[in-house]
Amino acid sequence: MVEESIDKLNPNNPKQKQKPSRRTRNEWHWAWFLVAPTIIGLLVLNIFPMFQSLVLSFYKSGDFGQGNIFVGLQNYQRMFADAQVWGAVRNTLLYTVLVVPLTILISLVLAVVLNSHLPGKMVFRTIYFIPMVAAPAAVTMVWKWLYNTRFGLINHILTSLGLPAQNWINDPNLALISIAIIGIWSSIGYDMVLFLAGLQEIPKDYYEASSIDGANFLHRFFDITLPLISPTMFFVAVTSVIQNMQVFDLVYMMVDITNPAYNSTVSLVYLFYNNSFKYFDKGYGSTIVMLLLAIIMVITVIQTRAEKKMVHYA
Amino acid sequence: MGRKIFALILTFAITVGVLGGCGTSAPASTASTSSSGSSTTGENVTLNFAIWDVQQEPGLRKIADKFEEKNPGIKIKINVTAWADFWTMLEAAATGGSMPDVLWMHSNQIYRYASHNMLLDLTERIKNTEKFKLSDYPDDLSQIYNVDGKQYAIPKDFDTVGLWYNKTMFDKAGVKYPDETWTWDTLYKAAKKLTGNGVYGILAPLRNQEGYYPFIYQNGGTVISKDKKKSGYSDPATVEAMKYYVRFVKEKLSPKIYGDTERAETLENGLCAMGFFGSWNIATFAKNDYMVKNFDVAVLPKGKTRATIYNGLGNAISASTKHPEEAWKFLEYLSSKEAMVEQGKLLIAIPAYKGTANDWIQANKAFHVKPFIDMLDYAVPYPASHQTTKWEDKAYETLKPSFTGEQTVQQACEITAKQMDQILASE
Repeated sequence: MVEESIDKLNPNNPKQKQKPSRRTRNEWHWAWFLVAPTIIGLLVLNIFPMFQSLVLSFYKSGDFGQGNIFVGLQNYQRMFADAQVWGAVRNTLLYTVLVVPLTILISLVLAVVLNSHLPGKMVFRTIYFIPMVAAPAAVTMVWKWLYNTRFGLINHILTSLGLPAQNWINDPNLALISIAIIGIWSSIGYDMVLFLAGLQEIPKDYYEASSIDGANFLHRFFDITLPLISPTMFFVAVTSVIQNMQVFDLVYMMVDITNPAYNSTVSLVYLFYNNSFKYFDKGYGSTIVMLLLAIIMVITVIQTRAEKKMVHYA
Repeated sequence: MGRKIFALILTFAITVGVLGGCGTSAPASTASTSSSGSSTTGENVTLNFAIWDVQQEPGLRKIADKFEEKNPGIKIKINVTAWADFWTMLEAAATGGSMPDVLWMHSNQIYRYASHNMLLDLTERIKNTEKFKLSDYPDDLSQIYNVDGKQYAIPKDFDTVGLWYNKTMFDKAGVKYPDETWTWDTLYKAAKKLTGNGVYGILAPLRNQEGYYPFIYQNGGTVISKDKKKSGYSDPATVEAMKYYVRFVKEKLSPKIYGDTERAETLENGLCAMGFFGSWNIATFAKNDYMVKNFDVAVLPKGKTRATIYNGLGNAISASTKHPEEAWKFLEYLSSKEAMVEQGKLLIAIPAYKGTANDWIQANKAFHVKPFIDMLDYAVPYPASHQTTKWEDKAYETLKPSFTGEQTVQQACEITAKQMDQILASE
């Protein structure tokens, strides 16, 4: 009797390895059951349609899902020759480069400030987070009014200060910056919350030890805070890039096809939308999406390589 | 054991919550246009009626109520989806086999839907009905919705584009109000006189139907060839008209307006003295105090000839409807003289039925709307082909540089013609 129990407990016992106990299997079943909804959702709504898009990119679409003609690589050839697609790549990359670093910088600084002993910091945290709760379309509509050349608040303030009014929406040079400002404004809250969580994981001992050694605020920030928050920063950077490369609603609501700034702001997803739903050419739209997928994957791989060198796990 | 039960109850509650949330959180515009929901006994039938103009809904609701009174057992549910999303919604519904029973049709899209058998062929029913005759409707309008000899929709209304002018600004500048004597020359001179002190004489936006299309036809040009195979932008008369139109922008007689919503704003804020807007804007303008006080309508000026763009919507029935007989009854009623007169009186739109326009004119107290009807004599049907949206959008892109000044009108029109020909060739 005693030998049997010892046998069961011994991990090197060959009998133990062959048959996982009933309790273990039971736990596995519960685990699968609870994870199932998410996995099924992912498969049905994300993975499966992704492969469908890939397949669709080899077809010229007929109307209403009927009459798709297989054209092989023709859509891809057309896309590589399409100047508008490459313009959209430039726009999307430029937008991401404008938004991601600035958002991370501002939200990190905000998180550090709101992590200290500031009176009313809970109120500030809430205020900064609220933009995330508002729908992007609603946010863009309000900003569009602020940016209005003739009647907008921003130009009103500028002219009352004696500065020239700008054409925020229609100027090809400014439009992307205007949209980037909206993007930064709405993401700061979310990134700030993530950074706050990361900051609170840094043990206070490090700060105490460093102040004994005579470190000032800058030393503390660059030598302690920054390295120890690099895991959070990595996560924020990767997800931010992926999300901002897919920008659509901000651009769609601000810039119409008749807008002179259209060519310098149209993003890849916007182009995909126009081709798939306005011009009823889902095959070509799918091709554009495949290009976006490839670009994002390359960027993410580069970022993962950088992680090995730059991210310090405490 | 207690823990297991607790876990089970929690899972159950979450599942119910998620599924219940899924059902109710569907976007408002697409949820209601699913397939006709009716009881299985067939006694109480609900028809889904899809439209895109929220301004017309109250009036159509009244007409639908009258129909329901006369036809107990049939209920009409009107679903409004804004124009920009209507066709996306309809395509998704059509691909999924759950189109609304009765719906509006537009000249831009009729060919697509009819040629793919998405609409019910009404030819036989029209022949056999006693409530109206197809000849009660202008032939031009009926033809729009006739594909390959089969009638797929019945005309509902028509609209034309007129010249809206600010009486107060005209008085201030000492210019006589526009009338039938106006020519391209008079228009240009008036715009010049009215421009100054921070206001513009005219609104010449990057817009086709409510912009340069009428001018193209007034000059004897065309947007698309008669056989729909070639672009009209290579026609010298078209290019000349475009040059005349863009000149307003070049000489700063018109502000540079590109977007849709900005156009009406310029009139409503007293920035422009004249503008081109279709009759469907009357309802919105009548609600704006500034417009009612200061604006009125006139016929478009004459070029080499007179022209305006006219278009008409149609009422159609989906081919996959589960209640074709009831849907046809509703369509019959909508197309009868009685409902058409109501449409005019309730200011919904200019009814397409011959002879009912007068009721509409009388009902409009805010502006003199007779010019819209007068122009019907020389109105040109909206230029369309099988893939209108595609080349129209591309045309905006290629004509844009002539408005910004990056290209000449000649260059922009050449590129537009080439693009359009390519798209037309692939139809």
